[in-house]
Amino acid sequence: MLILSLLWLVLGLLIGALANAAKLRPSTWEQHGWLAMLGLGALSALIGGWLATWILSTLFATATAIWVAVMGVVLLPRLIMWCGARLHAS
Amino acid sequence: MNRNQLSTKQGNASGPAVKRAKRSWKLGRRAAQAALVLLLCIGAFLSLFPLGRALTRSAFLLPALLSASAPAPLVATGDPVRVTHLTLFPNTSRTVYLDIYEPATPPPPYPGGREAIIDVPGAGDNRTVPQLVNLSESLAREGIVDVNVGTPALFAYRVEPQESAAVVQAFELMEHWPGVNPQHIGIISFSVGSLSVYEAAGDPAIRAKIAFIGILGGYADVLSLLHDVGTRSQTVNGKTERWEPIATTAYVLYQSVSYLFSPSDQKLLQEAFPLTPSFPPPLPAAKVKQLSPVGAAYYHLLEGDQPGNANRNIAALTPALKALFTRLSPLSVISQARAPIYLLHDRYDPAIPYSQDVEMAAALARLHHPYNFTTYTIFNHVQVNLNSALLQELGDAPKLLNVLTNVVLPGS
Repeated sequence: MLILSLLWLVLGLLIGALANAAKLRPSTWEQHGWLAMLGLGALSALIGGWLATWILSTLFATATAIWVAVMGVVLLPRLIMWCGARLHAS
Repeated sequence: MNRNQLSTKQGNASGPAVKRAKRSWKLGRRAAQAALVLLLCIGAFLSLFPLGRALTRSAFLLPALLSASAPAPLVATGDPVRVTHLTLFPNTSRTVYLDIYEPATPPPPYPGGREAIIDVPGAGDNRTVPQLVNLSESLAREGIVDVNVGTPALFAYRVEPQESAAVVQAFELMEHWPGVNPQHIGIISFSVGSLSVYEAAGDPAIRAKIAFIGILGGYADVLSLLHDVGTRSQTVNGKTERWEPIATTAYVLYQSVSYLFSPSDQKLLQEAFPLTPSFPPPLPAAKVKQLSPVGAAYYHLLEGDQPGNANRNIAALTPALKALFTRLSPLSVISQARAPIYLLHDRYDPAIPYSQDVEMAAALARLHHPYNFTTYTIFNHVQVNLNSALLQELGDAPKLLNVLTNVVLPGS
């Protein structure tokens, strides 16, 4: 599982890098924003992989890690921005 | 020249370069977005949809079959395997040997119960054959319970009617096996093990419950098989071509009906068709003369030394022999089956001619029975020929992948 977890981390980092190239990073994330995207990709992939291992079996964990990481780098920055805006407003 | 002029000049000079850079940035961004969409679609398809999960399974299984060993990705991502050896009705005439390969972990919450595959290898005791063990272990690593069924008759290279009872018992055992979904049980067989599978597929106790049947290198009709053996030829699509059987074919054809011959015929036929890698020299003429007319007819059919008289020799066989041949022919029971059938046969199979499954496919088509018949060149009868050329493997791989995907689909 350690090797698989490392694989999912690497895949997540690559997907984070792709998200940076695709300009999915919010414009307000200037300093270290690119690093945050890599982190979000890696974290999402790791969570997706482990969830799939538990729910579907390890065989489908890598495929799940990939799509969860993509969803993570697309949705999480917007979610974080939205939460930040709500906090500022209140 | 002021700064503005210089700036304008520079702007004019670098204008196309900046535009090019901007365009390539835009292209790169679009490519990255497209790659993310593609990854999202592929990942979601392979893990969320049953067909995708089946494709994932078969993509892991295919290299395991072609290389006859579990590839590293399957070992890394697959389940640990537990093997259980069971003997049903020990020391009786209906003893059944079961080798159960299953994942050592509990089934995942989704899709729940596991798929089980009952596996009937052909003649002989194949329980330790590396390719069979590899197939069983690979299936178990993928979360599928695989049960190898053996009977004393098949171990002794005899094909007998009613051997299907062993398959039905294995099926019913799997219906109540912990972690197995009783709706997701299929049966596969190799070579002459196909008779018991076709019979079981028509058994009222289980015929409506079988998810699929897969037959590799099976046969359809004993009389037409005898004709092919007797003439050392097979007819495919109206074209007759040379076909040389291996010695095991003659051995099984003799062993399965030996009890219908007189003791003196049995002794001579046993001597003529032993279990050897190749045919021994023919019996001396003096010994052939000692055979009864029926024994002699059967001898010439198996020896293939009277190809022009094959039909006459078949006609000379006793009614009891012919009746047994009918009972030993899957064609006589196939109309009772309900499950979809996947027929796989190597075009140059040396043990059972390819024409046998062509005949079976034609019969299934006449019955409007759902079936899928695929032809290969990478098998040596029922084992993958590990010396196959890369081009052969590339040609057969998509067909095999399609069949494997359908076979693992019920439990995906």
